[in-house]
Amino acid sequence: MSATSLIDARDVQRYYKSGATVVKALDGVTLEIRAGEYLSLMGPSGSGKTTFFNIIGALDVPTGGSVKLGERELASLSMAELSYLRCANIGYIFQNYNLVEVFSALRNVTLPMRFLGLTEAEANDKAAMLLKRVGLDHRMHHLPNELSGGQQQRVAIARALANDPMLVLADEPTGNLDTKTATSIVELLSELSREKGVTIVSATHDHRMLSVSDRVVYLRDGRVERILNRDELKISVGSIGS
Amino acid sequence: MSRNLWEIKRLRLKPELIWSMALSSLRLRMGRTLLTLLTVSACCAFLLFLLTAPISDDPADRQMWGLMITLSLLVSVAGVLNTMLMSVTQRYREIGTIKCLGALDSFVLLSVMLESALLGLTGALLGIVGGLILSFGMGLLDAGAGVFAAAYWSGLGWKILVSAFVGLALTTLGAAFPAAVAARMPPVEAMRGEK
Repeated sequence: MSATSLIDARDVQRYYKSGATVVKALDGVTLEIRAGEYLSLMGPSGSGKTTFFNIIGALDVPTGGSVKLGERELASLSMAELSYLRCANIGYIFQNYNLVEVFSALRNVTLPMRFLGLTEAEANDKAAMLLKRVGLDHRMHHLPNELSGGQQQRVAIARALANDPMLVLADEPTGNLDTKTATSIVELLSELSREKGVTIVSATHDHRMLSVSDRVVYLRDGRVERILNRDELKISVGSIGS
Repeated sequence: MSRNLWEIKRLRLKPELIWSMALSSLRLRMGRTLLTLLTVSACCAFLLFLLTAPISDDPADRQMWGLMITLSLLVSVAGVLNTMLMSVTQRYREIGTIKCLGALDSFVLLSVMLESALLGLTGALLGIVGGLILSFGMGLLDAGAGVFAAAYWSGLGWKILVSAFVGLALTTLGAAFPAAVAARMPPVEAMRGEK
């Protein structure tokens, strides 16, 4: 494992039992993700994108193989340690936004900071700054159901960045958005990744997300099919367009 | 980026956050809150009424009463437990989400229990008032002016306590079990839970 790698996944398997049959959602994925890169996971539905996303995000447990986040083996961490890891080091963005519906935009963003130990005043200041950065300073005190899909996703992005994580995981972040809004969300994510030097791993169907990626990993049937770097990507995206 | 990734600290439980989560949830889910209050208070009112109601001395009557009381109590207990179960399972996704943000299992459990305890307590108080009014009305019909005698109300204190305790325990424990299950799930499973 190189000094700059953030995630080191080795032969990761995730099998589900469904009656008598075993579904192999992930069937031996080995992948190293470098610190600071913008990596897209592509693949048809059922290819294992979301499962892989959940496992490297410490949201689900693999049935085989190992995942290292930095120097720490995820399987060796206790529940409380995993909570800390999720709170302090990982930001999550979901297709369905997953905002806490009883909290305003501002309080959604302050929640992870408050869990980490910031005072209310510190958290409010930082959350206001983040919401301003994503262009929602005028809607801070609105509840999620008073915001549009694009606005909710912006709140989710601000919330994912609340504790200055090393890693932001975005699962189909543009999946529920119209084209124009989706483009603005993709741009925002890519700007933020450069600004903050944060590693972004995004599971997506959306070809717009390829142009901002440093690498694209194609999954199929729970395995890595191929990996393209940015320079190879331009050629292949070009050929799709032509 | 200044924090060291490899250093893992302990998150501490913040009582004020638990309160704010519980209160926001009660306020924003007003419909559900009122429905639960109604169920709990009806259960407590009914229990207190049964405990204070005059029962005839005829053994056949008493047997019939006993059967009806047991059945009705079962129905109202099941009603409260079902309401609490629904209210927790409906928010599995929210529980999964806040676990992604760093909520400890104990935070999830305590905030749901506090919310239910507040509901249970309010419901029990309303139910006790309701139960006393019912008992008083019934007593007036049954014993006339005798209802004003202190002897008629003997043991009222512990009857009130029993009713309040049953209301509070039903709501809190009824919510604690599903909440404990959800709190211990891996976040992704909890988020999938309500689908």
